[in-house]
Amino acid sequence: MIKITDLEKFYRTEEVETIALNKLTIDVKKGEFVAIMGPSGCGKSTLLNILGMLDDPDGGSYVFNGVEVAHFNERKRADLRKHNIGFVFQSFNLIDELTVFENVELPLIYTGVPSSERVKRVEEVLDKMQIMHRRNHYPQQLSGGQQQRVAIARAVVNKPKLILADEPTGNLDSSNGNDVMELLTDLNEHGTTIIMVTHSEHDARYSHRIIRLLDGQTVMENIMI
Amino acid sequence: MIKNYIKIAFRNLWRHKSFSLINIIGLAVGMTAFLLILMYVTFELSYDKFHTKADQVYRLNVDIRSANDVMKLSVSSAPMGPTIKADFPEVLESTRIFGGGYVVKVGNQLFQENRVFLTEPSFFNVFSFPLIKGDPKTALKNPFSVVLTETIAKKYFGSADPIGKTLIIDGKAPSLVTGVVKDVPANSQFKFDMLYSISTLEKKYPGRLEQWGNFGNFTYLLLSKGANAAQLQSKFPAFLKKHISDADRKGGEDYALYLKPLKDAYMDTRGGFEQGSLSNVYIFSVVALFILLIAAINFINLTTARATERAKEVGVRKVIGAARNQLTMQFLGESVILCLISFAISVLLVSIALSPFNQLAGKIISPNIFEHGYIFVLLIISILIGVVAGAYPALALSNFKPVVILKGKFSSSAKGTLLRKGLVVFQFTISIVLIVGTLIVYNQLNYMRNQPLGFEKNQMVTIDFGGDENVIKSYETIKNEFKSIPNILAVSLSSGIPGGGNANAHSELENRQGTMQPMNINMYNIDYDFIKIYGMKVIAGRAFSKDYGTDSTKAIVINEAAVKNLGYASPNDAIGKKFSQWGREGKIIGVVKDFHYRSLQQNVEPLNMRVNPSDAGTFTLKISSENIPATLSAIENKWKVLIPQRPFNYAFVDENFNKQYATEERFGKLFMYFAILAIFISCLGLLGLASYSTLQRTREIGIRKVLGASIPGIVNMLSKEFLQLVFIAALIAFPLSWYGMHSWLKDFAYKVDIGWLVFAVAGILAFMIAIATVSFQAIRAAIANPVKSLRSE
Repeated sequence: MIKITDLEKFYRTEEVETIALNKLTIDVKKGEFVAIMGPSGCGKSTLLNILGMLDDPDGGSYVFNGVEVAHFNERKRADLRKHNIGFVFQSFNLIDELTVFENVELPLIYTGVPSSERVKRVEEVLDKMQIMHRRNHYPQQLSGGQQQRVAIARAVVNKPKLILADEPTGNLDSSNGNDVMELLTDLNEHGTTIIMVTHSEHDARYSHRIIRLLDGQTVMENIMI
Repeated sequence: MIKNYIKIAFRNLWRHKSFSLINIIGLAVGMTAFLLILMYVTFELSYDKFHTKADQVYRLNVDIRSANDVMKLSVSSAPMGPTIKADFPEVLESTRIFGGGYVVKVGNQLFQENRVFLTEPSFFNVFSFPLIKGDPKTALKNPFSVVLTETIAKKYFGSADPIGKTLIIDGKAPSLVTGVVKDVPANSQFKFDMLYSISTLEKKYPGRLEQWGNFGNFTYLLLSKGANAAQLQSKFPAFLKKHISDADRKGGEDYALYLKPLKDAYMDTRGGFEQGSLSNVYIFSVVALFILLIAAINFINLTTARATERAKEVGVRKVIGAARNQLTMQFLGESVILCLISFAISVLLVSIALSPFNQLAGKIISPNIFEHGYIFVLLIISILIGVVAGAYPALALSNFKPVVILKGKFSSSAKGTLLRKGLVVFQFTISIVLIVGTLIVYNQLNYMRNQPLGFEKNQMVTIDFGGDENVIKSYETIKNEFKSIPNILAVSLSSGIPGGGNANAHSELENRQGTMQPMNINMYNIDYDFIKIYGMKVIAGRAFSKDYGTDSTKAIVINEAAVKNLGYASPNDAIGKKFSQWGREGKIIGVVKDFHYRSLQQNVEPLNMRVNPSDAGTFTLKISSENIPATLSAIENKWKVLIPQRPFNYAFVDENFNKQYATEERFGKLFMYFAILAIFISCLGLLGLASYSTLQRTREIGIRKVLGASIPGIVNMLSKEFLQLVFIAALIAFPLSWYGMHSWLKDFAYKVDIGWLVFAVAGILAFMIAIATVSFQAIRAAIANPVKSLRSE
């Protein structure tokens, strides 16, 4: 599903050029659950941003579902993104001015799903995430665990083929964290490909495979048994 | 999608109530001021454009050049119009108007009507004043024919048909009502209550309409469609040569004729029945635009300042699939919604403010906001502001890179901060210019009101009697009767009074070279008491006296300006010099110190006085300051007995004199209100920015306090940033306002000096207001418990 080859990314400041990704090559198959680990500054988030088409690479190739997307313009990337990829962030990134229901509904609005269909799908996913009773609340009124469940609901409501999760449990206590990991595992078991950046060995163990990065390169891949 | 935008827009407005309030109030107030000025300006520019042939109508202006000066008149002489029409085929019609004031007797009631036009049948052909009753071709044909406006007809006759009714004009001329004309629109300078046939004048003063050298009427010419006015004008010198004999030129005078388009006549500085000011229209248009700009700037500043807060939302929306144009639309939508709310409030404000504003402007500019589609103009303007003011924030916000924002690396750029600061400087520059302007306008008004005028103006009552023959016949008796009233100190009568009009007499006076110098001199016909009652100072020779038999026919008193004009080094040199004026010849017997018989906008021009009470029209009564109401009612009672044929209309000389400054006072008031509005809106913006900036620095303030910063130190730190901007604004505003007000003052012959004090006061005022605005926020932030602010991070 994802095939990146010799991917490069540099950051330039006035004096120094930092290499974030150094000819990185990774292959992720459909239905896989991959964890990416590594110390701060190893390029994890950069990789996730490029995979999520939020950022362009400076070199190399990125084939998504058989299409080379490395040089897509913003519009094309946005289009591909909204139909295929869901995001889960450490800081949830819910919109404070919108209710739970409206936050989850937002991706459907941007993909042009008709109103009646939207209500059905949002309710379905809220039900699945067990936060239906909070549908009219605002994010500030929810606990961290609840907020992350809303964020996951928002990420999956459009039935994306790929979910990119950036430290999804980082802001949660262990019990809420485990709940979130169970949710992700469940989604994966129903066919969604998941790539997750994490610092937590515990969370990483939910995945099929751990890719360890150091200085923008793969140093080790271990396959979970 | 749109529902979602609107929803989030309203929630955003509600969540940030204080910011929304600042934005909405600022914009609403700005739009209100803008609309009011827009209404005023369009009204002023609409004068006499409603006449269906307005494009073809021209006023005949005349220049009279004599040896020493040029008189620029908006009036012409009576034979000019008809002769031009006869000589030039492209002139289809000519109509002449004399202005007049009469006492009208209807049944037993007396009315003083001061807005009477003596004119001819062509009046209805040249102008679009439709007759409701009567035939426009014949209504003004015969002598002693009167056409009334609807309002006056109702006032005189109620619901009865006025046609065929008789009015007694000035106590002796029975005149027939031959027509009723629709009331004159507010935006016409031809504000008459009554039209009187010009043939009446011909009947009463045979030959009056044939005098080429007597400039007393307006002439309007209707040109054929497509006729070239400039070409016609170029033929006038030859025309004048052909028709005006040397005898009519009164020895050396030269005339020039000009065509002034009717549409521009109201703004013509030569004057007319009513005179507008193009420069005021320009000044107010600029002020209106600036106020709107200030309000729009607030909007831009507050929105971009808050961009950091909105950044997260933008990032999230982009990640889940929002395209850039969708975000742009969203933010534009938000700003348009905000502007529409402001629009609604501003409509309300305009409806409330319109009536006081009409009063301030001194005329009904517009009865309501729905007139002339003003409301749509405002609606379009508010949407436009929404789009323009929203464009920058919308483009800036939608351009954010989601990666950067969501990582929390985003901070407002230095460029954005600089822009905001620049805009604040701009706002305060305008505000300070307006404050300086207001101060100088008021200084000038004060100066004009308090300047010694060179004559006694207090406790002087004037009563107009319109030159009534019966009064003239027995004026000595009447004067004595008035004098018998207690508290009346002296009585005089004259043709003119200071602050009122006066005759302009073509005269010849002996100058320093010993030749008889022709000049158009201002002239008062007075009695023996006039100079004394007005406290005028005789600086050479003597005032008129009954002891000298020749004073009533062979003597004039002139003012210093006339002395100078004749070239004499000292007033004494003028005494005993010859004069010839309107059939009288004799000697200059005295010189009075210059007194301001016109407003201080004008220089004191040469003037002479001569004893001739039979041409007088106004009584002046000097009264004691004790119990003025009783004195006035005693005068009125006496008047009713002595002069029952004239209505009792009195005025105080000082009040009447200051009426000349009504336009300037109005200008000053409007200017002041707009200055207040400008500074108010600017401060709203400053308040918003200051509170936002302190909000952002809450953590910094907390840390500084923990490290030992004092409260004044923190207030100082937070305020300094903004006060610097006001300081820069003052530096820019001072030369600008000096230049602007210097040009404004050019219209005044006597004016205040623009001292440094005005700038100091304006600068300090702006500074104080800014300090009050900013420090309120700063103090609140500084006294907050640092533990709280640090915990919140």
